[in-house]
Amino acid sequence: MGLTADEFTIQFIATLVKFAIVAGLLLQIPPVMVWVERRVPAMMQRRKGPNRVGIFKWRIYGLMQSLADTIKLIFKEEVVPEGAQKAFYHLAPVFSVFPAFLIAMAIPYGPDIHAFGTTIPLSIIRVDVGFLFIFAVSSLAVYGVTIAGWASNNKYSLLGSLRASAQMISYEIPLGMSLIPIVLIYGTLDLNKIVEAQSHFWKWGVFLSPVSFLLFLIAMFAETNRAPFDLAEAEGELVAGFHTEYTSAKFAAFFLGEYVSMFVLSCLASTVFFGGWQVPFFSVQKLDDLTGFIGVSALIGHVTLMLKATFFMWLYIWVRWTIPRFRYDQLMSLGWKYMIPLGLVNVVVTAVVIAAFRFS
Amino acid sequence: MNPYIPVLIVLIFGLTLGAILSGLAAFLGPKNPRPEKIDPYECGVPKVTGANEKMSVKFYLTAILFILFDIETIFLYLWAKAFPQLGWFGVAEVMVFMVILVAGYIYVVKRGALEWD
Amino acid sequence: MSDFSLLMTHGVFHLFAALITLCSVLVVMSKHPVKSAVFLVVDLFLLAGLYATLDSHFVAAIQVLVYAGAIVVLFLFVIMLLNLQPEQLRGLKFSAVEAGTLVISLVGFLITVVATFKGDQTGLGDGSLDPVAIEAAGGNTYVVAMKLLTNYIWPFELASVLILMAIVAAVVIAKKDKKKTSAPIS
Repeated sequence: MGLTADEFTIQFIATLVKFAIVAGLLLQIPPVMVWVERRVPAMMQRRKGPNRVGIFKWRIYGLMQSLADTIKLIFKEEVVPEGAQKAFYHLAPVFSVFPAFLIAMAIPYGPDIHAFGTTIPLSIIRVDVGFLFIFAVSSLAVYGVTIAGWASNNKYSLLGSLRASAQMISYEIPLGMSLIPIVLIYGTLDLNKIVEAQSHFWKWGVFLSPVSFLLFLIAMFAETNRAPFDLAEAEGELVAGFHTEYTSAKFAAFFLGEYVSMFVLSCLASTVFFGGWQVPFFSVQKLDDLTGFIGVSALIGHVTLMLKATFFMWLYIWVRWTIPRFRYDQLMSLGWKYMIPLGLVNVVVTAVVIAAFRFS
Repeated sequence: MNPYIPVLIVLIFGLTLGAILSGLAAFLGPKNPRPEKIDPYECGVPKVTGANEKMSVKFYLTAILFILFDIETIFLYLWAKAFPQLGWFGVAEVMVFMVILVAGYIYVVKRGALEWD
Repeated sequence: MSDFSLLMTHGVFHLFAALITLCSVLVVMSKHPVKSAVFLVVDLFLLAGLYATLDSHFVAAIQVLVYAGAIVVLFLFVIMLLNLQPEQLRGLKFSAVEAGTLVISLVGFLITVVATFKGDQTGLGDGSLDPVAIEAAGGNTYVVAMKLLTNYIWPFELASVLILMAIVAAVVIAKKDKKKTSAPIS
């Protein structure tokens, strides 16, 4: 739209570069998270956790364990269960990875870069529907789970996938409702504009709409099927849930999908409620002028967002080893009977309060 | 530039990644399926029936209620976007909308359709 | 819009149109209903892509959110609920129905191709729906919201009645009285 050929080329190349960086980042998450998820509980339970694997004498706290695990998984035999729907069995991991990656592209990873005569935004997909794009894509995540369970021709898989998909669709409503007050407050659906509106520390979403944050946090845990809502893979009853019959690299693909969607929701929570790439009490955008280098602000902003997201990733693990698993009926009644009414009340109260202040 | 070009890139990337993951396992891993190995896992016991069990109608109810509340949420998003311009008029409009739906919600709760038993 | 991006939009449109036609045919021809449902998801997702090329971002998002993300989930659940056994799912041979569908789809596709090359394919010549004008007015979502909440206020309020009716109907159908029936799987 209104771009010259040169600008188009620059934007296109910038998109490819940004995509490569983000995709590279996302692919690093599962190995690191698998390691963190073994070391942190070990720490919490006064154990050691994996600390032996290393290259020569450098052990780096056992970080190489993940590399070893990955290599092991790739070299394992792939067992396709008898009677499986072959095409869908093989496609299901792609279905589960694709939505998570697509949402990751809509997150603003830093302030705009003004270079080469144009403005390069640090979010890769920037459409004016903002949130709705994210919800639309995240609603597709159900299919990875459903298809995996159905195509495996295994009762545990089918049960796990049904539970997981019913849970995911149930918590999508509170997730959507929790962000309506944010739209009311900041008056926009565009994530980048929401971050810019949170330039002042006390204007962060978590202070202006704490109930929204609470609802979002709970829905975020349920959407990713993580403890205490990991009913879909309750080992005691369902073996491993929808990925019971998956082995080797495809099993790894489900891990990738799960950790990437955890990371993406962490980024979204930081962006909407904790100021995204904004550093508290400090204007990041001024850094370019202060230091004289283009891109310093983007770098600092990006690191800030990553630190905030890291906190949420840590929270995921912390909660997992703190709170016991819910029962399925408790899970459904929490979502339908408590979170939806609370979400509606939250919307109404926010709207009335804002209207009373603005339109009086 | 059309904002959806990256969507196409992600699509291609996703399919490539899936193909690579499948390909790696197919080329690098051993392949010797035996009847015992490829039998669907049922705690080591030979399977009795196929996995096509009839499932509960509760899942159907959950899905249809989800669609309806999802649509409501979308309408609320539209209103939230136009909220500053519509003012109290918009608030009143949405209140009417919500009161009707909350009546439906109360009916669902009273009928016990949200009880998962 | 520059010639180049116009060309790209057209290319994407034709690619999507072809894929949609292919998926629609597969929806009809698949022997297993779950397969049909999955192709339907892909179909609806690609249809959203078409809306996106028309700069209707809001409709595109809603298309994916409601149709691909919610309604087909319901279809899948219903298919699994009915649990048709493979012997009940005897696939049709290449019958008149399928041949007819195929031909109609192909003709539809050809008409689309021809219509696209005929110049003003949008039919929205009055300029009020031109993407640049919409962008200036506050964006696609905002324009839709204002139209819906001012010009179309009665349909908006009636939509809630419609949803209410659907909620009641769903509960009445799925929830038989207080008497408990043994649930097969939960």
